[in-house]
Amino acid sequence: MIFRWLDERLELKKFKDKFLAKTFPTHPTFLLGELALFSFVTLVLTGIFLGLLYEPSTKMVSLFGSMVPAAYASVVKIDLLPMGMIIRRIHHWSAMIMIASILTHLARVYFTSAYRKPREINWLVGLGLFGTSLGASFTGYLLPYSQFSVTATSIAYYVSKSVPWIGGGLSRLLFSGEFPSDGTVPRFFFLHVMLVPAVLVGLIALHLLILVKQKHTEPSANRIRKESHGGKKLIGIPVWPEQVVISLSFYFFLLFVVSLMATYVPLNPIEVYGPPAPGTPVMRPDWYFLPIYGFLKLVPGNLSLSIAGGKITPETIGGVIFPAVLFLLLAVIPFLDRVKEPLNYVENPLHRPVMTSIGIGGGVFLGMTAISGYLDVFRIEPGTMMLYTVLVPLVAWGICYTLLRLYNRRRE
Amino acid sequence: MVEKSSGNKGEKTAISRRRITLGILLGSLAGAFGSLLALLKVLSPEKKGGGYEATIVLGDRLVYAQGEKAGTPLRAAALKDGDAVLAYPVGKAQNQANLIQLIRLKEKAFKPPTRLDLTDQGFVAYSAICTHLGCTVSWVKNQTSPDTSFTECFCHNSIFDPTRGAKVLGGPAPIPLAQVGVKVAEDGVLLFTSGFIGPIGPQV
Ligand code: HEM
Ligand code: FES
Repeated sequence: MIFRWLDERLELKKFKDKFLAKTFPTHPTFLLGELALFSFVTLVLTGIFLGLLYEPSTKMVSLFGSMVPAAYASVVKIDLLPMGMIIRRIHHWSAMIMIASILTHLARVYFTSAYRKPREINWLVGLGLFGTSLGASFTGYLLPYSQFSVTATSIAYYVSKSVPWIGGGLSRLLFSGEFPSDGTVPRFFFLHVMLVPAVLVGLIALHLLILVKQKHTEPSANRIRKESHGGKKLIGIPVWPEQVVISLSFYFFLLFVVSLMATYVPLNPIEVYGPPAPGTPVMRPDWYFLPIYGFLKLVPGNLSLSIAGGKITPETIGGVIFPAVLFLLLAVIPFLDRVKEPLNYVENPLHRPVMTSIGIGGGVFLGMTAISGYLDVFRIEPGTMMLYTVLVPLVAWGICYTLLRLYNRRRE
Repeated sequence: MVEKSSGNKGEKTAISRRRITLGILLGSLAGAFGSLLALLKVLSPEKKGGGYEATIVLGDRLVYAQGEKAGTPLRAAALKDGDAVLAYPVGKAQNQANLIQLIRLKEKAFKPPTRLDLTDQGFVAYSAICTHLGCTVSWVKNQTSPDTSFTECFCHNSIFDPTRGAKVLGGPAPIPLAQVGVKVAEDGVLLFTSGFIGPIGPQV
């Protein structure tokens, strides 16, 4: 009934035939992207709740008899509301899950070489999504304005200020003046709840549109199946109703797991960190910033060079050049690993020794830089750790490459 | 023949017209974005933050920077050999550039380039703002031999030697923490006897 009413006005039937009948591959790793998308939905929903109660200001107000910044006070009050702390933790957990699933999704695309022609554009859009999500997390971090937030943001402020030539202007643009000043929190609030989510929504829409246009890649087994049956269509299940049911169940399962974690596992306990204070205790960033944090520890302090009036300092190398190079390397992959004909089947990673071993080496390298974030715990000298950070990935790459080569020789 | 050449001509004017239109489009685009660049300036206010311009002057008393005693005067008797504490010049706690670490060691523990004339009865003071990326440094006390205690920044583990002018012993900090003069006054409270003798805060 309702469907007919709507159909007569909006031509829903056409839409249904065109989009809802799309096929979706059944392999579970194709759900990783969805996991990221669903985490984002949760973030928006919980974010709206937080945004309605949060106060973006560093004015000093009285909270239980002591003077603290209004932003900090408002988040402490959120934590005291029924379910308030749980919503805040769901927000934070979802941010972690979103970034973790983007990373594994990216790894899946890399190892199955689904980034190759014709999907180079979507690989770049995906990288954009990854970077923007990191930006979302980073701007969210400052908002509770605890000692932890302020220290983390202050470090980022000086990193951006250290950029040669444009550092001064860049840091003032990002942080709305010097940090800490009363300009930064309102600016980050707008970035975090408006600008960055808007960019994310735009990029997600683009990502999905391109996906629908190009269709998914398929497991290579499908090629054989199709060739013997003479079929041409993608093998999989239709979006409506099968995939929608699977996705919804998946989403509710995710919500269940996240709520469970939020209920029992504390995260970012700002009451423990306290409002901004003179001392800086031992603190480490969320895991996805560990590589940058670790790399900052590795670059020796006397390593700096001057060119054309600008000074490239260890801070710039660790905090700006290192992540920029990582993203650049990822971005050029589809343009180096080229094929002539458009490819629509995923490849078996075991059959691609070069790319697979490079991917594993790169992953191990990131792992090593993350471990460097803990070198004070292991009491390793930065110099020694630097050596390991270079050597271990090389060894991992070598072993992996040799094994895959042997495997493929045997296969042939 | 005639027809063909006139056809060519028409094509040419069409092309040049297209060129002109394109030129106008690009020109106005550049103009629009050029004027937007001015907005960047507006969006980057010169707003002063804590900054790193210390305002310590000779004779300022030292007060505790944190804890229950925050804001109350620091007495020499409160620190034993191997102790350290964060302090501000009295009334100037708003400016984080003024934050210092006051350390007490044995008098003979100090070696150059520590400025001995700026120490008194084993008290030495350095800027507490890490020269790497601006975290506050901490004191790692060695209970068994207090003179081998050191200053560490827990952010990226820069280590400074308090007996040698806060020389960098390890980690990413590029330069030592700047020393500042202190002395014990007759009534037992600590006073500043100089400003910082070197650059303070992140060297960016
Ligand atoms: C429309 C979308 C969003 C809104 C309205 C929103 C809103 C907020 C607000 C008001 C806060 C401050 C309150 C608090 O700290 O608990 C916050 C914190 C935070 N946000 Fe968001 N957010 C959104 C999306 C995201 C996304 C996409 C990410 C990451 C991928 C993210 C990561 C964070 C993090 C890590 C915090 C700090 C949480 C904590 O204090 O433990 N947010 N967000
Ligand atoms: S801020 Fe002190 S070591 Fe990085």
